[in-house]
Amino acid sequence: MEFLALVDISYLLLIFFGVALGIVFGAIPGMTATMALAVCLPLTYSFDLNHSLAFLLALYVGGISGGLVPAILLNIPGTPSSICTTFDGYPMARNGEGERALKIGVVSSLFGGLFSLAILYLFAPLLSDIAIKFSYIEKFLIIFFALTVIASLCQSMLVGIFSGVLGILLSLVGVYDTVKGGNGDIRLITPALEDMLYSGFSLLPVLIGLFGVGAILADAEQGVKEETEGAKLDLLSGRKFDLSAFRGSAVNLVRSSFIGTFVGMLPGVGGSAASVLAYTQEKNFSRDSSMMGKGAPQGVIASESANNGLTGGALIPLLSLGIPGDSTTAILIGAFTLQGVQVGPLFIGENVETWNMMVLSMFIANIVMFVVMFFAIKYIAKVVTVPKYLLYPIIIMMCVSGAYAINYGIMFDVWSLLLFGLFGYIGGKLGLEITPFIIGFILGSSAEIYFVKSLESFGTMTIFFTKSPIALFLWLLIGMSVAFSIYSNKRSKSKTA
Amino acid sequence: MKSLKAGLYIALGTAFALSASTAMASDAPISGNLRIVIGSNSTGGDTYQNAAIIAAHLGEKLDMNVRVDAVGAVAGFRALKQQGKTGATIMFNHDQSYLGNLYGVKGYDDIFAEYKIGPTISINPGNAYLVPKDSPYKTVDDIIEAAGKGERVRVSVERGSASNIGFSALENAVKMKYPGAEKNLALINTGSQSDKNQALFDGQADVIHGSIQGNEQFTRLPADDQKAMRFIWITAKGETIEQMPEEGLGETTRDMMLQWTDPVTSVPQSADGDLFNFDKMFYFMYNKDIDPKIVAYFDEAMTEIFEEGKIQSDFKRSFFIPSFRASPEAEKFLVNKKDDYAEILSAIQK
Repeated sequence: MEFLALVDISYLLLIFFGVALGIVFGAIPGMTATMALAVCLPLTYSFDLNHSLAFLLALYVGGISGGLVPAILLNIPGTPSSICTTFDGYPMARNGEGERALKIGVVSSLFGGLFSLAILYLFAPLLSDIAIKFSYIEKFLIIFFALTVIASLCQSMLVGIFSGVLGILLSLVGVYDTVKGGNGDIRLITPALEDMLYSGFSLLPVLIGLFGVGAILADAEQGVKEETEGAKLDLLSGRKFDLSAFRGSAVNLVRSSFIGTFVGMLPGVGGSAASVLAYTQEKNFSRDSSMMGKGAPQGVIASESANNGLTGGALIPLLSLGIPGDSTTAILIGAFTLQGVQVGPLFIGENVETWNMMVLSMFIANIVMFVVMFFAIKYIAKVVTVPKYLLYPIIIMMCVSGAYAINYGIMFDVWSLLLFGLFGYIGGKLGLEITPFIIGFILGSSAEIYFVKSLESFGTMTIFFTKSPIALFLWLLIGMSVAFSIYSNKRSKSKTA
Repeated sequence: MKSLKAGLYIALGTAFALSASTAMASDAPISGNLRIVIGSNSTGGDTYQNAAIIAAHLGEKLDMNVRVDAVGAVAGFRALKQQGKTGATIMFNHDQSYLGNLYGVKGYDDIFAEYKIGPTISINPGNAYLVPKDSPYKTVDDIIEAAGKGERVRVSVERGSASNIGFSALENAVKMKYPGAEKNLALINTGSQSDKNQALFDGQADVIHGSIQGNEQFTRLPADDQKAMRFIWITAKGETIEQMPEEGLGETTRDMMLQWTDPVTSVPQSADGDLFNFDKMFYFMYNKDIDPKIVAYFDEAMTEIFEEGKIQSDFKRSFFIPSFRASPEAEKFLVNKKDDYAEILSAIQK
């Protein structure tokens, strides 16, 4: 416990400000935890390693957690990993349970964060040995498994699968980058558009375009009356929050936190897959999932505990292998390199003090996140009482700023935002299903890379079935997920008939 | 009275120091903010690390706000073309800028034709190749011999990158000794270091590209650990490694590193007995139409920074080697280097 002597007031203040700033970044559509770290990394040059890491880890925890606020109140995922929070969070808000949904989300985030931290602290080196058993093939199968969620989330299975495949297709536009192990060729665009679409469509502009701008256009069609949103979304008309919301959800909470931690420790799979997988598992395996997608607390619990479970999970490969688990920890590694510290398999054993301080920082950051968000919720939630004619222009402005900033000032990202806003609006009218589309878009490029790499490495399709017992187990899960989706689809059809 | 005098002296001293430090800024052809785009998307890699060091010194010297943006090579080229004319956006990258073009990777322009080459800044001497600790290949010669005798040796590198040139040099060496057998060296196209390491863990590659900084800890693992690796070749010149601190990095001392560089470990480049080596060089690039006064201004600033001598210790602390050349000299140096590697590639293609 000698490391506790290093805790000083500046350390605690950095964690507090880091969490607060992270929450702001996460809560603004188009701004993410990754961006928060990228913007703040240069500020840490003058700090020592422990203070620098405390600040950046606090930003990470705050940034991931803040995404639930717009997801629940505005139906716009603040970060890609809070996409599944919108499925039940927003319907809860519309039923007058906005404050309750937010509090459920915050408690779930705290649980997920602390759960993954405990796993990180106790089992990091052991789990990194397990993580390296997951080759291209197993990673592809995990993503494929996450893609099966499309079948269980759509209204019409055929249209849903079409929308998901369209999402995958659009995610592949642009260069097959050599940095990802590709061949550098440009796909699916004409030479005239190569300059603009060289890197394809960025995820954040597409996400906030579909969810934010698309919804605003749909509302604009109805006409924005001079009423307050609060008139429709009375925050207090629904049930109040109490811990009974978690009754019967212990399995969901632990399973989703575990999924988040597990996906986080597999480099390259991506945080969005964590909440998508956790949400699907709850939908497929809970005793009653009939209300999911219509405002069930269990959906918010699954999504939020999984995406915060990611925070500890993504640090496992970083600190045990020197490999960042996700895009945000890829920025975090910069803090080590700028201080001339190498992370790798011997890092924890050789830097016990730094390791303990990191775990302590994460622990304090989770507690601060909980305190700040839980008690600020009744004020935060009032955002929905702002009249639409004021709220919407502000949202659009934030979306445009976020889209412009995401790739350090690319104007095409703003056009992508508006284009996909229009696409979401028109697609909705044509019956296209937006949720499967965006899940396909998020997971498509990773699926492609791991599929192609698997074939390049092993040269045969049968390897997907014969590579390892892990691969067989994943096929079993995929089969069960697809079978359940077909069964529940038929059951809901027969009910409506 | 004494304290008043002391205060006055301190104030005068501070004013003098400030005026000296901002002297360059008073007649500056450029002021305000400076954006340095780098040819990597990562803030954890050596490009960002080197850029951050020079950016901090440059910001202080020029009294400007300097920001480093990790945008990647192609986006960096684009930013340089579109926003670089005023000198407020400049690019920092390493040899990959021209190697990408030599290998025909889309989006990689001919930097010597399309941009103005700025000063060289530093070298990362850590460019290395590794094998599993229990690999039958003990030396680079073992690999050349194995490939020459028909054994398939799989080498994991990123196509068209700085890691690819070492692979090409190996191909060339095999071809010189065993013509036609170079096809036995198989390029396993992998992107990130994580993917390269994973290829080794999975047994999908026999040799991977890595770095001293990124892979040194793996070399200290026991041989029965699936993650254990061994250095087999460091591409930097022996004389470059000689400039490193004696204690090296981690538990790998400078003397140990010298065992994996030329002349102890060598890859022949030509029949004349030339040896291949590759010092990963970092340098600036500017928009082609940048005002020559700005180029001279940056050159002057960086010359002063290197003369002051503080930056050298910053680079060495991070395991890099300072290597400054002003713009005209840097361009000649890099053109020669590019021609050298172009010869290897054309020899392989013959």
